[in-house]
Formats: sequence, C-alpha cells, structure tokens
Amino acid sequence: MPDVALAAKTVQLKVLRYRPGQDAEPSYGTFEVPYTDDMSVLQALQTIKDELDSSLSFRWSCRMAVCGSCGMMINGTPKLACNTFLRNLPKGPVTVEPLNNFPIERDLVVSVGDFVKKIESIYPYIIPKTPKTVEEGPYLQTPAQMAAYESFSDCINCMLCYAACPQFGENPAFIGPGAMALLQRYNGDSRDGGQQKRLDTIHGEDGVWSCTAVGVCSEVCPKQVDPANAINQNKTNSAFDFFLRFVRKDAR
Amino acid sequence: MDHFDADVLIVGAGGAGLRAAIAVAEADPSLTVALVSKVLPMRSHTVAAEGGSAGVIQSTDSLEAHFHDTVAGGDWLCEQDVVEFFVSRSTPEMIQLEHWGCPWNRKPDGNINVRAFGGMKIERTWFAADRSGFHILHTLFQTSTKFPSIKRFDEYFCVDLIVDDGRAQGATVLSPVTGAFTAITARSVILATGGAGRVFRQNTNGGVVTGDGMALAYRHGVPLRDMEFMQYHPTCMPGTGLLFTEACRGEGGHLVNKDGYRYLQDYGLGPVTPEPRNKTMELGPRDRLSQAFWHESQKGRTFETPGGDAVWLDLRHLGAAKIKERLPLIREMAIEFMDIDPALGQIPVRPAVHYTMGGVPTDIRTATSLPGLYAAGECASSGIHGANRLGSNSLAELFVFGHVAGDEAVKFSRGVSASDSGKLIDQAKASAAKALSLRDQKGGGERHAVLRKEMALTMEKGCGIYRDAAGMQATCDKLAELKRRYREVTLEDKSAVWNTDWVTALELGYELDVAEAVAASALARRESRGAHQRLDGYENRDDAHFLAHSLATYREAAAPEISYGPVKITTSQPAVRAYGALGEALEAKKDAAHA
Amino acid sequence: MSESRPYRRPIDPKWWWAPGPYRAYTLRELSGVAVALYGAVLFAGLICLVSGPMAWDSFLGFLRSPVSIVLHLVLLAGVVYHVKTWFETLPKTMPKMIVNGKQVPATEITRKAQMVAAGCSLVLVVIAAWAFR
Repeated sequence: MPDVALAAKTVQLKVLRYRPGQDAEPSYGTFEVPYTDDMSVLQALQTIKDELDSSLSFRWSCRMAVCGSCGMMINGTPKLACNTFLRNLPKGPVTVEPLNNFPIERDLVVSVGDFVKKIESIYPYIIPKTPKTVEEGPYLQTPAQMAAYESFSDCINCMLCYAACPQFGENPAFIGPGAMALLQRYNGDSRDGGQQKRLDTIHGEDGVWSCTAVGVCSEVCPKQVDPANAINQNKTNSAFDFFLRFVRKDAR
Repeated sequence: MDHFDADVLIVGAGGAGLRAAIAVAEADPSLTVALVSKVLPMRSHTVAAEGGSAGVIQSTDSLEAHFHDTVAGGDWLCEQDVVEFFVSRSTPEMIQLEHWGCPWNRKPDGNINVRAFGGMKIERTWFAADRSGFHILHTLFQTSTKFPSIKRFDEYFCVDLIVDDGRAQGATVLSPVTGAFTAITARSVILATGGAGRVFRQNTNGGVVTGDGMALAYRHGVPLRDMEFMQYHPTCMPGTGLLFTEACRGEGGHLVNKDGYRYLQDYGLGPVTPEPRNKTMELGPRDRLSQAFWHESQKGRTFETPGGDAVWLDLRHLGAAKIKERLPLIREMAIEFMDIDPALGQIPVRPAVHYTMGGVPTDIRTATSLPGLYAAGECASSGIHGANRLGSNSLAELFVFGHVAGDEAVKFSRGVSASDSGKLIDQAKASAAKALSLRDQKGGGERHAVLRKEMALTMEKGCGIYRDAAGMQATCDKLAELKRRYREVTLEDKSAVWNTDWVTALELGYELDVAEAVAASALARRESRGAHQRLDGYENRDDAHFLAHSLATYREAAAPEISYGPVKITTSQPAVRAYGALGEALEAKKDAAHA
Repeated sequence: MSESRPYRRPIDPKWWWAPGPYRAYTLRELSGVAVALYGAVLFAGLICLVSGPMAWDSFLGFLRSPVSIVLHLVLLAGVVYHVKTWFETLPKTMPKMIVNGKQVPATEITRKAQMVAAGCSLVLVVIAAWAFR
C-alpha cells in the first residue's frame, strides 16, 4: 500500500460516518487518499483505516467480488467496493455511504439480520421430489435442466439489489429481490419438489406483490442474477395459485 | 455476561464447520449446536475456492490412484492411513452435496463431469464452473437452515477457548454488534476456523483468514504440526495476490515466460504435448510450479509489473465460449481488475501464498490432543496434505473431516457431563477482561496496522518459496520483536459498537503466534521437501532425519519449542518424486514390477 | 446497556424522479397513460358511430382538427416509447427460455419481440392504407 506522505496523486473520499456512541446522526467525513491506477474503493478505505483513521468501520473479506461483504453506495449507486476501481469513477470526490434502505449500525456497516431471516423463510434447500440415498448415487441433471436455475444460484447475498429497490425502502417487510432469486433457484431445480411450500410464503403485500417492476435490482446485480425476473415470474405463479387453490386436489 | 449452553460448539462456519453442524443435527436432533462465525457463514473463505473438489468417479480411476497421487504430491509426509480413509470417503461426500443441491457441472447426459487438476493422474475434480467453493458454501449454509437444533452466532468473534478438567468445554465470544461477550459452554468443541495465509504479504486469502483457531488451540498447549509448509499457488494476480484457479491449466491454459516460452519443460515437467497431459507441464503440482517461477525469475526470464515480476498465463487458445462456460469468474476478474479479456490477451501471474498445509494435529477421527476438542478443514493438520497439498483435495477434506468431526463430537458429548457452569463462566469472564484490556490499555503508541505489515513482509522475505538459515533466523528475530511491540499497541478506537480496530488487533495477536510457529518450524527443518525448499546446503530431501512431522509447542514470551513426531507409512514407501516424462517412466517401471 | 443504536435513513421521497433508471421507470409507467387515452379515443368513436351519422361526422371533424393531430402525435410518441420499453421489460416477467440447453439472453428476446411488434404494426398500416385507398 502506498505511503500517504509520499503520494504524488491523491483522491478525496467523502465517507458517511456514524458512531452511535458519540453521533446523534450520520455526517460526512473527508479523507485525502493516495491514488494509484489499480486501486479499488475497498483499497482506498483500507488505506484510510490503516493510515489515517483506524476508527472507520466497514465489512470486507475476499477482495474478489464473491464473498458479498463489501456492498456500499458509491457515488449514490450500490456497488461492491472491491471491484469498483477509482480509475473508472468520474473525476472529483468519491462519495461512499452505507447501503440504502438498511439501518446503519456504524459507519458503512448496516444491519443484515432481517435479510438473513428472509433467506431462511423461503425453505432455501432441496426438498427432494424423489428421495435418494448417497449409495444410490447422484441425481441426473442435464445441462438444460441446470440452465433453468443456474443463474439464480449465482447470488452472492451482497444485498445491492435491496439497496436499489424503492419498494423495499418503503416496506422493509417486503421479501425483496435477493430472497426471491434464491426461491426461484430451488423452485427451478429439477431435483426439487418444494414449489408449493415456497409459493405459500410469497403471497400478499410482503411477498411478491410489493414489487412494481422498477427493475433496478437486476441492473445493479454484480453477478447478473436477474432477481427482477425471479420476482415477476412468481407474480404469475402467485396469481395462478390464487385461482387454482380452489380446484387443487390438495387444497385445504 | 450472557451465557449459552450447547451440547456441541463449532467455531467457524465455512465448509468444514457447516458440514460438522449438519452432521451433528442429523446424528441427534436433540443436541443443541452453537455455530459461531466471525462473519456471516456465506462470507467464509470457502466461498473463494474456485477449481473444484477431488473424488474418484470415473470407471478408469481408482482409490489407489488418488491415494498415490496425494501421498507422492505430499512428498511422503502424509499420514497414509488418513489418506486411505480420506479418498474412500470423498466421493460419497460429493454425492451428498449433490443431493443437497450443489450445481456440479454435468455431461450432456446429466451425469457428473470432472476436470483435470495438477498432480492428479486421472480427472477426478468435481466442479461448479470456477465458483466451486462459492456454490458448495451456499449449498451447505442454505441446507443448514433446515435444522432447528443449529443455533447460529453470526458475526461473533471467538477470543478464547474454555478449558476445564483437562478438556475443552466452550469458548468466550465477542459480538461486535454490541461489544458484549457471551460464554458459550459445551460438552465438545470443533475448530473449523480455516488457515492463516494472511500472515504473508501477497496471498490469495480473504481478510478473515488469520489463523484464529490454530492460535486458540496452540495457546492452550496443543502443538501446531508441519507449519513450515505454506503453499505458494503459482498463478495469482501480481500485487493483490488474487487467485487464478488451477482449473485455468486444468482446462488447457499455458504458462509462458517473457519470451513466450513454456518454461516448465526446463524443470523436469516436460515434454510439451499438443493436448494437456496429466501430471505434466502445467498440470504439475503447485510447489514445483512455484519453484520453477522462482528459477525463471533468477534467470531474468520474467517481466516486471508494479506488483512484482510475473509470467504469462495464456488462455487464448481455449476460445471465448469455453472460457465463459468453464472459467467465468476468472474472465470477470481479468476484465474488471486488469482490463484484460482472457480470450484476447494473456494474464500476468506470479506465485502467492494460498494454503496452510499444517495446523492443529488430529487423529484419523479429527480428535486433537486436548480431550473434547476436534478440528477439521484448513485449521487442522489431518495429515492428508504432507509437505504439499494437491489442488482440489482441500475442499474434499472439508466435508470428509467436517462430517467425522460432527459424529465424534456427538459421541463425546454424550459420554461426559458438564463442569460447574459458574466455574466455566468465571473463566470466560477472565478471557473477556483480557480482550477488553487490549482495547482499553494505554499502551506505548504502537499501531497494529504497522505491525501487521511488518509481519507480512518479514514472512515473505524469510519464509518464501526458497529459504535459507540466515533469512529464517532474521524472520524469527523480527517476529519476536513484533510480539514485544504488540504488547505496546494503543487503539485509537475505544468504542463498543462495531469496533473493527479492536477485532483486527485481536486477530493480529493470533497471526503473530501462528507466524512464529511457521518460521521456527521452517528454521528447524534442515532439508528440502515439498513446499519447504532450502538453498543453504539442505537442497535435498533427508528421509533419514526428517521423514517426520514438526511440532511447534507454544511458550509464553519465548520462541516455540520444536520437536518431531513419526509419519505413518502403510503401503507407499518414500520414493523419487517425479512428474512429466520421468514420472511416467518411473510409474511404468513400478507397474511392471507389480505385474 | 449497549451503545448499539441502528440509524434508519429516510428514503428519498422523490426517488421516482431520480436521474437514470428510476426516472426511466417512471416515464415507462407514465407512457402507459398514452395507450389508455388511445383506447378512450377509439371508444368515443364507437359511441359516436352507434349514436348516428351526425355524431359520427362530428367525431371525424374532431379527428381532422389541429388539436387532435397534435394530440395524436403526442400519443403516438408515448405509445411507441411504451412498446419499446414494454418489450425491454418482457424478459424479466417470463420464465427463462432454454434453447439447446442454453439460456436465451434477455436482449435477444427483446430484440425479436420488438421486431415482431414492428412487423405487425407495419402489416396493419398496409392493410389500413389498402382499405382506405
């Protein structure tokens, strides 16, 4: 990491700070950070923490856009700090804020508990259509069957889609894009038989029906998961299910 | 102080920890599992594993072949009975993951597809594109949510183990969210905390890989085994150290020097063939490839980058379609980080620290020398990797030994009763007070960020790909100095909520202990074997003196004591370790002798 | 007592007019009004038709007025924009299309659907021009 004192070029970072022990509400802190061409926003934040102000808090780990820890608002757009490079941002100060629509615990750290609960609520595991023992070997699944759900399985749970979703902002109980992508990942899997059980969790305003197809969730997704597709497909499923429940054999 | 009583405590919720938790929940749903992780489970470093996981599945393959590749790959420092067990249990674990939903790559007919990997005679690496670890971790995490007996402690940091009556009985954990401590008591404890690659400067590891579990056990008198064997992965991004998976070469990628020459043929890995050939050239083992890079660099046949010298990884001949299908993450990283489309341009790469072969020694059933304490995954030294791990054996290890650890912890928990909880909580309070004192102490003004950088630099200098006594001694001395200075650390941040200044300072304490074990073990091994290569008169393997596991024992305020333990040999006697044409000739000779 | 005190930032009440994708979304939804108005014009014509020749003639008179022509140009622009963006949204609302084991990219679905829509419109215009020649 470059030495702050010797750096030839610097970049200014405006970081939204909030320390609940001392601040009534968030406010911006400004840092001059040495600039190099290969520097990510995450590296800039690490430089601040290591050399300028060790009290700045943020989550990070893998540095390669797969662990999903470092989602934040960069110049107003939800992004992963580790694969957002300073060289690609417009000239001038870079604004860094915690993810929109989530409670801020401190600085760039937001509450993740509700999101994890939503993931857990949709039965995020295979409910086997035909149970099989390990001794019986793997299930067959053709590449075409895999393609039906594969892109939804690429979600890294970074929560950028939630930060982009105004309906989640309005209604924090809304199941939201990420959890719906996960639901579709299992519902679309040829090995799975839990579709009805999952469908029962997403009717109503807190289910799919808060979505008005703004679609920005899919635009900000760093892994091209297309959660908007997962939600809107399931609006159709939810609507069909509403009418079919009267004629279904297993209807209550 | 809050108190939570569990039957089994698992520290770490990556691949091994989650697999262990599910094993406990399946074996006995009436037992409560406390699953502690310092990050959300899906952030654990298993997520970054790319290439895949080894398990014999092709009809042309055999458990014996996997065994021999692993033992020879480890330069005969493997526990051979454990390797036998491991290879036999690996495939069932892969199938189990498949049943839980892991999107393993398939052949057109729907059967499991496998790819080639370094040092493996036959293709046996199960893979999910080049995001195998990611898919495995998410599959395990999501599956774990179906078991109500698993009580997760997400984002809780472990500051100490609770040891009473001569056995492990829990841990003291800190919640950064509140700054408060909890005493978790349990009948048995499983460590699944991962490796320690962050003690080196250029490494492929996530920020969380700081050797916590190793240091926790080590401080409680459990020695660390074979710590001198740190794996350098040959193809990493200069500067950041980020990994370009071995699958790049498994799929047919080439390594060329600045003159466009496939230099591996000069280091006993040839011949060059038009099609990739297992255990030859780019499909050699990681230690040999990293060592070949070092020699190329000495000869001036590498080129300079701002992140150090490098060679080219050439994937262009694979074509855009194959790169997109098999190596999407690699493609994305090259494009986003380096502005290089691997279908059009070559990627500069150099070796970086990737994996900790050593760790907390366990027997074949994952038990450590401390009763009630089990270890699985990278934090453990189960004995399957020896002096050099083969690519794709480490993911398989997580599930085989995570599963066993869960089963063993269940058995142990059923057989013992808890000590008086008041006594255990008092111990937790003492540990909490110690952790708090680091936050609140006035100190001598030392900044831990500075110490961390100096540690990582001295490790790279003295304990790199090639080593000599003077360099390793200098590193040992430097680490002793850093440990002294660590006691004078002053934190700027004294607050309670999300005080990451404090947590990373605690992590540095773990890192310094583990680093010391690495350097002292390296200095004591006067031979060259696998990932430990010396230049100062000990260039050869010395089975007479060093066919032995090193054991580093912790000493308060002194360098660790190094001793040696025996290596279990069953069917494979130490022999010449060769790859390429020589390897094939030796194997043919062996086969002929058998016939 | 913990110092923990999560802070919830208010959401921007004007998010729907924020530059970029949010404004594009609002315009897309608004352009749906043009489609409805077109429908209303047609419906008014139908009512006039059943009300007798006088009503029908005054409806035709209205259609020829400058106000109506301006209105129709504005509505046409709105409808064309709505058609374009509707097909851009289409792939987000339907199950994944798998052809030969590969997922069909969203852009391709949109492009093909827009071409079909444009083709249909052209055929209608030709038929109308032929009928009123």
